[in-house]
Amino acid sequence: MELWANLIVLTWAVAFMLWQGVGFAITLGTVFAIWAILAVSLNLVVGFTGLLSIGHIGFFGIGAYAMAFLTSDASYEQLRTEAIPTLGWPFFAALPVSVVLAGVTALLVGIVFNRFRDDIFVLVSFGFAIIAFSVFLNLRSVTRGAFGIHEIERPAIGGWVLDGEVEFLVFALICLALVVLVCWLIVTSSFGRVLTAIREDEEAIAVFGYQVTHYKLAVWVISAMMAGLAGGLFGSWTTFIDPNSFILLESMLLVCIVILGGLATIWGSLLGAMAFVLLDEGMRFLPFIPSEFVGQARQIVLGILLVLLMLFRPQGLVGRYRL
Amino acid sequence: MPTSSLRSVVLLALAILLIPLALACGGDDEEEGPFRIGVMESATGPGETYGRVAIQAKQMAVDEINAAGGINGRMLELVVEDSKCSAQDAITAYNKLTDVDGVKIILGTSCSGAMLGAAPLAEADGVVLFSGLATNPDIANAGDYIFRTSMSDAQLGVDTGNLLWADGIRTLATITEATDYAEGVRRTSVAQFEKRGGQVLAAERYASDITDFRTQLTKLLATNPDALHVAAQSEFTGGTILKQARELGYDGPIYSDIVPVGTTAIEIAGEAATGVKAVIADIDPANAKGQEVLGQFRERYGYVTLAWYLGSAYDDVHIAAACLEETDDDQDADGFRDCLYDITWSGAIGDNYSFDGDGEVVGLTNVVVEVLPVSERTAENNGYRGLGFAPSE
Repeated sequence: MELWANLIVLTWAVAFMLWQGVGFAITLGTVFAIWAILAVSLNLVVGFTGLLSIGHIGFFGIGAYAMAFLTSDASYEQLRTEAIPTLGWPFFAALPVSVVLAGVTALLVGIVFNRFRDDIFVLVSFGFAIIAFSVFLNLRSVTRGAFGIHEIERPAIGGWVLDGEVEFLVFALICLALVVLVCWLIVTSSFGRVLTAIREDEEAIAVFGYQVTHYKLAVWVISAMMAGLAGGLFGSWTTFIDPNSFILLESMLLVCIVILGGLATIWGSLLGAMAFVLLDEGMRFLPFIPSEFVGQARQIVLGILLVLLMLFRPQGLVGRYRL
Repeated sequence: MPTSSLRSVVLLALAILLIPLALACGGDDEEEGPFRIGVMESATGPGETYGRVAIQAKQMAVDEINAAGGINGRMLELVVEDSKCSAQDAITAYNKLTDVDGVKIILGTSCSGAMLGAAPLAEADGVVLFSGLATNPDIANAGDYIFRTSMSDAQLGVDTGNLLWADGIRTLATITEATDYAEGVRRTSVAQFEKRGGQVLAAERYASDITDFRTQLTKLLATNPDALHVAAQSEFTGGTILKQARELGYDGPIYSDIVPVGTTAIEIAGEAATGVKAVIADIDPANAKGQEVLGQFRERYGYVTLAWYLGSAYDDVHIAAACLEETDDDQDADGFRDCLYDITWSGAIGDNYSFDGDGEVVGLTNVVVEVLPVSERTAENNGYRGLGFAPSE
């Protein structure tokens, strides 16, 4: 079955690209790369460690806002009462800050979250997503609140600005490859085996002298840093962000991607992200729908397809572990 | 896995894969085909109300143009995409329209966030982005290919500040929904009000999912302001605030923008909305074209809401048709852009309006309206009466 799942998604991706042309595929490739980084990072926490977090979008937002605040050019702003300073940082100086800021935030909240497990952990991660959104909306001196921030910097190497879609896609895929590599090193190391043991029986592994809270906190922070990286990329790619990009629904979609691809498998997260992007964007090509209903029809069909996939593959496309 | 389930999964996947193939069979004749322009609106998501009205008004305008013989003998066709009121979705919708459908002229978006997400791409690609609804002041600087018939929130705020001062209001309390539109209205209104010498005694903000405003209103009214200013994004919250303010015993003047005096809002508020004054972009009752469009829309879809934005979306299609008639090429974005800079238009939302060097509409003016008692509200008057143009001083 796993072979079939791989074949179907990959064939589908190639067919979609051949049918729609390379231009649109490049856009979808970038969306895929950003969602895949997020999915891989969340799978570390949910799949490998067994902590179901629905607050990951908060770290994604922190990374995006750090990138926006540090690199945007505020001279465009018409409402001077909502102005933020123009710091003019280059992308590659801001990106590490996005990553570190998300990590530091994760460390601080993780110290508290480590006290919780199972359904209570889900609830507190939900609370984090709500708080993060509220901060993005209300900390107007930094985020411009509902107005959002635009003119966010694209990556530049020397005088070469990666403002083309192809260049950005390549850069995003390199970032994805690095994240996958780090994730693979983690899950194949002794550290990763302890994480899996925590997922299976936290109390049993504690009996052997492992500091479970330290391991959970470490993977939580690493995962958040990856999400911060995805956020920095997202802000730079869209060049505009506002709090609507970081609502709880996005977090739920992210959990869906991880489950769709399969828990505790890196390849599953990549496959899940690819399948989701193809499903979501593929629905733009639904035939015979009157223009007035095209958006709604797309959402309904997407929802039905996701339900069907979960009916047939509750463990995900290539998953080995179920929540 | 059972064989039957496996077969079902494979069949499902094949069905999904066949969608593109089915579509590929229906290619268009490029030689004699219609003029194709893109539309990006919030068909779903937070701006769905605006997006739906905009799509319907645009489709109505297209049907009207085609029924009259099209443009230079060719039909006009809209390619509609959902930008969901989000920058990311606007970017993917934009790239789908430009890369797959090959359009060079896009009408939309409904939301400023989506507009600001897609605008840099349109500017870089030389694609015209032409909105009838996005009002964020920052759009003014978005680029040479970016136009809109919607008036900036900045102007609405200036007009509201002037109205407050002209009505003798000297102290104010404000309650505002935390969205870019509502925040923009409040900020610019307050800035102009304070510039004229007014004083804001208290200010409250609320998230879009709040339904009970009594605590915030009690705090605001305790400061005893001359008037209350309500800036809302959704008609539900706007109407509820009006209702709850009156229930708390406040009988002073209330000022707002279009949303709290929208059809749904004043229905929720009932008699509590009576007397509320709002500065809005509205279709002039004396504008025969505007009234005709509203009548046609009501007949076709059975309702009318956000009348001015409906008219704005309708006008955008007719302006686009006029420019396509001139350029005779839906791939000539530069010619289309130049046409927009030169054009002076009279349509549903006003007479003799045009676009300035920033692509901002000029020649349109906000008006002041006052909500009527329930017994006098009709579908034709939208529940309010006009008091004339907003004061400039």
